[in-house]
Amino acid sequence: MATRKKVLLKVIILGDSGVGKTSLMNQYVNKKFSNQYKATIGADFLTKEVIVDDRIVTLQIWDTAGQERFQSLGVAFYRGADCCVLVFDVTAPNTFKSLDSWRDEFLIQASPREPADFPFVLLGNKVDLEPRAISTKRAQQWCQSKNNIPYFETSAKEALNVEQAFQSIARNALTQQSQSVDLYNEFPDQIKLTNTTNRNSNGDSCAC
Amino acid sequence: MATNIEIEPGAALESALVTTDSYENFEQMSSSLEEIKNSNFIPSTTTDEFLDNCNNLDNDIHLNCSITSTNSKDEEYLQDEEWLSKPKHVFVLSSAGKPIYSRFGNEDRFASYFGIMQALVSFVQADDDSIRSIHAGDTKFVFLFKEPLILVAVSKTGECTLQLTAQLNYVFNQIASTLTLSRLVKIYEQRRNYDLRRLLTGVDRFIDHLLDFSENEPAFTLGAVQCLPLSSSIRDTISAAIIQSCSKIKNVVFGILLAKNQLITLVRMKKYYIHPHDLHLIFNLVQASESFKTVESCWAPICLPRFDSSGFLYGHVSYLAEDCQACLILLTVEGDAFSSLSEAKQRVVERLRRGSCLEAINESLSSREETCMEVGFPEVRHYLYKSKSTAQFYQPHISAPYSSNHKRLMNIYKRAHYKLHCPTRPLKLLFERTPQDAILAWDTRGFELYAVLEPLIETSSAISTVGRLLNWIKKREDKLFHLNAPTF
Repeated sequence: MATRKKVLLKVIILGDSGVGKTSLMNQYVNKKFSNQYKATIGADFLTKEVIVDDRIVTLQIWDTAGQERFQSLGVAFYRGADCCVLVFDVTAPNTFKSLDSWRDEFLIQASPREPADFPFVLLGNKVDLEPRAISTKRAQQWCQSKNNIPYFETSAKEALNVEQAFQSIARNALTQQSQSVDLYNEFPDQIKLTNTTNRNSNGDSCAC
Repeated sequence: MATNIEIEPGAALESALVTTDSYENFEQMSSSLEEIKNSNFIPSTTTDEFLDNCNNLDNDIHLNCSITSTNSKDEEYLQDEEWLSKPKHVFVLSSAGKPIYSRFGNEDRFASYFGIMQALVSFVQADDDSIRSIHAGDTKFVFLFKEPLILVAVSKTGECTLQLTAQLNYVFNQIASTLTLSRLVKIYEQRRNYDLRRLLTGVDRFIDHLLDFSENEPAFTLGAVQCLPLSSSIRDTISAAIIQSCSKIKNVVFGILLAKNQLITLVRMKKYYIHPHDLHLIFNLVQASESFKTVESCWAPICLPRFDSSGFLYGHVSYLAEDCQACLILLTVEGDAFSSLSEAKQRVVERLRRGSCLEAINESLSSREETCMEVGFPEVRHYLYKSKSTAQFYQPHISAPYSSNHKRLMNIYKRAHYKLHCPTRPLKLLFERTPQDAILAWDTRGFELYAVLEPLIETSSAISTVGRLLNWIKKREDKLFHLNAPTF
């Protein structure tokens, strides 16, 4: 089991179908890219170890399906996440418009304790493609309006900014984790003996 | 065969242990705390439904999602023959899918698998249902979702779903015993993404040990404890020594003396009882902690989940003396009673020395139990006898052909135990013969008996042998069982 130093972070990737969530994962974890589109069915899980400020951090990445018919996996799926990565396709304006609903959906389902401070990261993917539909400025404005979400423009195909984006994801999630209150000493657990008997479920104890 | 209480060996009117039928009510925990009224657990369906569910699962679940894990690291484990060939894996994760414990391997290395387990649980949960098990060939995947944790066993051992679930419950209780259940629940209420391993450093060793223990010890299957054979006068002297030594200290709830996984005595505060499952956790704690042997005494917070899952008892744990390896555990609710309990322990040892009890304990510890053959039952290879009213059991020394294959013997018992406790169709009497062995299992109001016999034995002589065996146990019950339930 764990020593104190080990950290594991749960990272959820959300965004419309076809924006390149799985490709980003694959580029990041396996250093591979394929032009062929294969829809994620349900969810994929990946693990990656990174080093952030001399700490070894295990990222448990939950790559979800963008298609609506798989949203039934949602509810329990999002809970307990340390970071949520939103992805859109810079050449497809609809995928940018969906960001609000992805973010809202996540906050509703995951219901983090402090929604305003929950770490999101926004990735504008496919910057290698033309024509560009969403400008950097427009994406940055959206990020500012959402409490300064970090924004990265990436290309899973060319491995552009992918490493940097995930480094930032890990760091953001980690900051959130380290602000942990002292959970252990918050409440007393002394037993108070009462006069009620604690004997339970005991039909045949009496041998008569 | 009349079941008359007069002849039921090891029966007593008052027991120090909560008596239990192992599977029954397993999920309920008792509490002596006023505050505990909340429902931290998912409501448990009855065991009947449970089994039905298990049987129907194959048909019921149509996962219309596929969940894949693609990662070079995970594949390392998927290709690791040794890891794959383990007969049983046990995993613990948070309801958010974060790894907490794996019996084998470094759980960080296959964090994605934990995601898959969480997905399976939450997918079924989305329909207000809960997943109990998946059966794939000879492999069973058994799930136990007990807020805020998910426990999973993947087993090829042939143990039934109920037995595997019982083991997962033990693991859950071991974790609750370390943190208290209320704290565990509260931690996740405050932070669902919490990495519980931070608080459980070192506890994995206890879970490992507990799992080995629960697989190999009949005590776990029977929900009972075995006593160290001692004459009743010696046992009474020991109990009296503990009672007198603690008489001036208030709020000592339990005084337990044990050796080699066997109970020597148990003194309790009036009105309070200890559950065998809690006692097993204490046995496990003592067994798995070599460090208790090297220090004079240890002071540790221990939560006994079946006694009170919301708080800690404080345990003064110490071996009696260099020359007597019995372990004394004094449990109190007072967090600052260490020094007074240390003094009490010294007084206990002095009294036991004066009464020559240490020698008696050592003598019993060094002599092994007789085999069935040695006491005139050549047709009986081994047996387990559980007295229900005291939650205690007795077994003779294990002899051939099982001396080198305990697992096989345990499997015979587990199978028979399941047939007697199968919720849908429990048997009262079972006689089963294979080319290797025969088993007679008998469940009455007062006791359970599991006797493994020579395969060629005739049914009638099996029954008469068992009758003689019960008489034999009855004659020795004073020595084999702890029949008094002394109180402080």
